[in-house]
Amino acid sequence: MLTYIIRRVLILIPMAFAICFLVYLGLELTPGDAVSHMINPDALGSMNADQLEALRQSLGLGQPFYVRFWAWFTNLIQGNFGYSMNGGVPIGSIIATRLPATLELAAVALVFSTVLGCLLGVVSALSRGSRTDNVLTVIGMLGVSIPEFFFGLVAILVFALNLGWFPVGGRSMPGYMTLWDRLPHLVLPSLVLSIMLTAGVMRYARSSMLDALSRDFIKTARSKGIPEWRVNLLHGFRVALTPVVVLIGFRLPVLIGGSVIIEQVFQWPGIGNEFISAVRSQDYPVVMTIALLSVMAVLLASLIVDILTAVIDPRVRLGE
Amino acid sequence: MTDTQDVAISVRGLKTFFYTNNRCNKALNGVSFDIKKGKTLCIVGESGCGKSVTAASIMQLLPTLSRIEEGEIIYHSDRGDIPLHALERNGREMRRVRGAEIAMIFQDPMTALNPVYSVGFQIKESLKYHTDMSRRAAHERAITLLTEMGIALPEKRVNDFPHRYSGGMRQRAMIAMAMACNPKVLIADEPTTALDVTIQAQIFELMDKLKREHGTGIMLITHDMGVVAELADDVAVMYMGNIVEAGTVDEVLRNPVHPYTRALLASVPVLGNGKDQDIKAIRGSTPDPLNRPKGCQFADRCDFATAQCQAMPDETHITPTHRVMCWRHEELSGHGAQ
Repeated sequence: MLTYIIRRVLILIPMAFAICFLVYLGLELTPGDAVSHMINPDALGSMNADQLEALRQSLGLGQPFYVRFWAWFTNLIQGNFGYSMNGGVPIGSIIATRLPATLELAAVALVFSTVLGCLLGVVSALSRGSRTDNVLTVIGMLGVSIPEFFFGLVAILVFALNLGWFPVGGRSMPGYMTLWDRLPHLVLPSLVLSIMLTAGVMRYARSSMLDALSRDFIKTARSKGIPEWRVNLLHGFRVALTPVVVLIGFRLPVLIGGSVIIEQVFQWPGIGNEFISAVRSQDYPVVMTIALLSVMAVLLASLIVDILTAVIDPRVRLGE
Repeated sequence: MTDTQDVAISVRGLKTFFYTNNRCNKALNGVSFDIKKGKTLCIVGESGCGKSVTAASIMQLLPTLSRIEEGEIIYHSDRGDIPLHALERNGREMRRVRGAEIAMIFQDPMTALNPVYSVGFQIKESLKYHTDMSRRAAHERAITLLTEMGIALPEKRVNDFPHRYSGGMRQRAMIAMAMACNPKVLIADEPTTALDVTIQAQIFELMDKLKREHGTGIMLITHDMGVVAELADDVAVMYMGNIVEAGTVDEVLRNPVHPYTRALLASVPVLGNGKDQDIKAIRGSTPDPLNRPKGCQFADRCDFATAQCQAMPDETHITPTHRVMCWRHEELSGHGAQ
């Protein structure tokens, strides 16, 4: 198993390289470049083409894109993330300020949705066909099918604007930085993000649980005269858990990459929000770094899922 | 029928109905039999005749949309008679009997064991709930059981997961699970259908040993007449939810009365009769259980049917132990096997 993990981690490097290259290529193909966003439009009118070209050259933008990509990548390997082209802030410090916000939001939502989703899914499966099950099914379908920005806007309208219970957006008021002060800011975005995740986990847990309960070994377990809770949870849920873990595992990258839409709607100063503004201004070092982080998060999450699956299901053997 | 001294479970007039799409399938339509201590009762019949439903009724493991409508299942336990049919399905009383006093083994050992728990865990599970053994004692017991079942290296194998066991080993593990609490009755629902013939012989040898050494009453569901001849003390032949003929193994096999029993016996190839032997398949197929014929259920396929068969025949005793449901039993009895 250890060799398997080491091999998987080593595979991350070429994969990350390939994916970064594709992102870089995509960025190159979009019209305009960073220079057109750097200079204020009034000043731009008074500059001549030579000056602009000189600026491009000084930033290294005149070179072919693969040369620039290689330069960026070699810098990265040396631990140098580079600087934002907008304002020259070191990207390392951008990540350092943005990542905690994203982690905070995503962790709350992931934990909440995992616990609640599994619970409701199991309840739903055990009471199949009952009113509880029907109500949960309808809520689940709504949660899965209504886009999250809509939930976000409704939540802002109702709870922030009309009722005034929570702030409209942002992560904190200036000057108030303790967790307790920030808590009201966290409620709406984490709730909206949780609704989406919970609905998915619940639907998945329900069908997986129903599948497990229809298997032969449930009858065997019952024939041993053990209590129903043990039949349902130890024999049913334990087997139903594998696909649910896969689903949850593939949501782990949200922790790093952030939920772009929710962070936009609530003006949450996280990675997702930063990513959008970086793409808009073609700030390629920032875009590339965030893309790289997301790629790493996805690849690591799939590794974690594989390991967890092997832990839960003894039939799964890694690396053979 | 018999004195209750040596009877472990008596079933009388059992009717179990299934309800699907607002239609009622009378899966068991008045079934009576006894499972005797230290004896093997074989229930034979073709697929869909209600053999497995009988087992599920006794264990109260019926699907949700089915129930015992009439009749009784009395378990003669050491603590007095227990009416199993009246117990709540997964209630405390039923659970106390299940696994501890009446245990069951299932058809397909490949799917009947939980893949995520070790075999030992699954054996110890019933010990945990039915005995007050310590963990260590339960573990020892699990190893002993596996040894008795002829599993090599039981100390190691007890911690293995089911996917590391072969089909025959899994069925042995199933039997070990079922025998964990020394049950009075073992219900085996086609335990060897999924296994090959050599393994089948080993499994039956094992069951026979349990019967002899522990005095376990066995109800064996099968459709293999060879198995019946080999293992059974008593036989009940089922057709479309009724026991059409029942008796001791000698009575039923040597003097089959009901045309269905005769047809079943005639449909078995005999070793040594060569490739060209005449195997008589039973003509037609079983009627749709939701659209049954009136009267005798077998009449449409029967070579001996008369106008009388439009009505359901009563059960008649030919000897105190041999009973049959056929209008023409008098002419047919005494003919001997064909």
